[in-house]
Amino acid sequence: MLAKKECVAMLLAGGQGTRLGALTQHVAKPAVPFGGKYRIIDFTLSNTINSGIDTIGVLTQYQPFELNQYIGNGQPWDLDRLNGGAFVLPPYQKAKSGEWYKGTANAIFQNIDFVDRYNAEYVLILSGDHIYTMDYSKMLSAHKARGADCTIAVLTVSLEEASRFGIMNTDKDSRIYEFEEKPKIPKSTKASMGIYIFTWDKLRKYLILDESDKTSHNDFGKNIIPSMLKAGEKMYAYDFDGYWKDVGTISSLWQANMDMIYTKSGLNMDDKDWKIYARNTAEPPHFIGKEAEVTNSIITEGCNINGTVKNSVIFTGVSVEPGAVISDSIIMPNSKVLANAVISHAIVGWGATIGSSSHIGEHQNAPQHGEWNIAVVGPDEIVKEKTIVKAGEMLGGGEKA
Amino acid sequence: MNNKMMSILFASGNEAKLNELTIHRTTASLPFGGRYRLIDFTLSNLVNSGVTRIGIITLSNYSSLMDHIRMGRDWDLNRKNSGIAVFPPFVLNTARDVYKGKIEAIYTITEFINRSPEDYVIIANCNIAANIDFTDVLEKHIASGAEITMLCHDGMLTSSRRVVIAKDASNRVSDVFFVESPSQNERLLSLNTYVMKKDKLVTYVENAYARGHIDFEKDVLFAEATRGVVYAYEVPGYASIIDDVKMYYNESMKLLDYDIREQLFGEENKIYTKVKDSIPTMYGEKSKVKNSLIADGCTINGTVENSILFRNVRIKEDAVVKDSIIMEDGEIMEGSTLAYAITDKSVTIKENRQISGFSTYPIVIVKNKVV
Repeated sequence: MLAKKECVAMLLAGGQGTRLGALTQHVAKPAVPFGGKYRIIDFTLSNTINSGIDTIGVLTQYQPFELNQYIGNGQPWDLDRLNGGAFVLPPYQKAKSGEWYKGTANAIFQNIDFVDRYNAEYVLILSGDHIYTMDYSKMLSAHKARGADCTIAVLTVSLEEASRFGIMNTDKDSRIYEFEEKPKIPKSTKASMGIYIFTWDKLRKYLILDESDKTSHNDFGKNIIPSMLKAGEKMYAYDFDGYWKDVGTISSLWQANMDMIYTKSGLNMDDKDWKIYARNTAEPPHFIGKEAEVTNSIITEGCNINGTVKNSVIFTGVSVEPGAVISDSIIMPNSKVLANAVISHAIVGWGATIGSSSHIGEHQNAPQHGEWNIAVVGPDEIVKEKTIVKAGEMLGGGEKA
Repeated sequence: MNNKMMSILFASGNEAKLNELTIHRTTASLPFGGRYRLIDFTLSNLVNSGVTRIGIITLSNYSSLMDHIRMGRDWDLNRKNSGIAVFPPFVLNTARDVYKGKIEAIYTITEFINRSPEDYVIIANCNIAANIDFTDVLEKHIASGAEITMLCHDGMLTSSRRVVIAKDASNRVSDVFFVESPSQNERLLSLNTYVMKKDKLVTYVENAYARGHIDFEKDVLFAEATRGVVYAYEVPGYASIIDDVKMYYNESMKLLDYDIREQLFGEENKIYTKVKDSIPTMYGEKSKVKNSLIADGCTINGTVENSILFRNVRIKEDAVVKDSIIMEDGEIMEGSTLAYAITDKSVTIKENRQISGFSTYPIVIVKNKVV
């Protein structure tokens, strides 16, 4: 038996993220670059270590190689530990069975032994595709103080938004009496953030029970939470009031990046006591040329900027040639924007080349029906000169030869 | 034949001429190029050339260096076998005093050198900015049959002591001598970096030490050059020794040239440094930045031209920074103007200050000062 860990984190990173299209054609959603020098998963990994939890299983399934390589031994997050640390847990062959992860609950079920090895009392279940900073240790304290079996982090959303989320209906002590998945007429505005703390003994029991039910989707939201509620287990909501965003769509991924620029958004990463860690790429400082104009933007190491950049996030190692104009866009690592290209309200994937005098995306003043009409150029795409990519159009995403 | 190399680095050297910049640190830990310390170039060159056993000899002021290097992880040098060994002064009980020259210093770590399995050794100072492929140096060293191969570059003489080289067409060194007066003409200058057989080094040092010699250049190198067994290796691309304030300023400003950056930072042979997890740099609505090299973690709302900003520098609204170097955690407040200045780490320039040096005499503001 290994030394006991009070709380072990399990990070669900197997999602394909189909709505991100070309961006997740060859990498899992948590490995998608974010905010200049990060990957989406850096937020949950950094939150975990900053919360004092040093043992974390990362459950991968879809396109795992990029993510495996990125996490490596966990060193960038200080998760290379003698006892504990970061572990990538893909599905594996067992004596009696062996299969893909069927659902979020099944992924944890298949790794019961991993949690048991650490003799954990509590398990923190996380998603690898959310942008937020949060101290899980406070949530764990609340869980312990209430003697709860399950604590679910909730965010207060607007009534209109509520029907897009899993909604927790609670009594005045925050005890959950009902859970409704995407209700047409919401009774409350407490939306589940997909962050759960379970007392391990309890969860272990329900995972085994759920697995024996052949009709189950083996999903936390659809199966585990409802059956625990039905059985009258002590389940509480934990209110979170910071910045949180699910970056599952092109529009929300774009918006979350923009939120880094607009400090009023509440996304503040410049906190010396709560750093977001990332694997380093050893690039020199960025260079702003004589003809460049840069305003209201984020620029990362290794860039060479010789054009105009406004309201944009420019990732590591991007080069922008003279005469190019980039506005309201995110340009992912190592892309090249050639002379006189115009990019507006767009996402350019990593390693892409935007040919000279091309037009990518169109300027927009406001989102339509809550969604921005963002143009996307997929990773490694080469856009020929004078090409026009319209708003909302996505280039790339086909199988590679 | 084991074609592997180990290395011995000298962390200190010529600190006097760097004045205020090395009050609190060794030359090796002098910040350079926006996010680096000078030693990063030598350490990265060694690692990129497959050299993983590195002894660093320190003399004084080495806590900043220890803090920077830690266990060497950022250079992939936290190894079970080999890695970094830092030697503070007084390694031996029998040491009579803090070492006086390279001979004495190397003599005190003879055991470290003898116990290492590598056949070749690289001796270097940590005040060099260059991207050097030591595997190529070793190949040329072996091919030439030299006892000592010394690295050199074309450079201008400064007020510091420089070793000037004359060589023939086969790169055999025909003359070496010290010069200590500035000159505008380019000369072939030594980078004070040598490659030789490890056993040979131990023999040189033991013989010289027994005779009371302390100066490697004067007492070993010059004698060997006369025997015709020293060869020169000209480092291709950008290379320089940083050993006085003017040199520091001029060489820093050269980094604003794209070609020089390409030569120094390389595509494949990257320069590694201590990772600090700063967020990317934020440009505000009113930022006006031209021709500048800017590290991560800065917040810029003012004007920056022809300058270098290190990590986590804040330039407030209506502040103007021109032809200057602002080191880590510097803060230039509203309405202030800086020209031809080097501000050391954590310097704050308060509102509406006007500070200016001159292109040939940049003003230095020491660490932690509030102006």
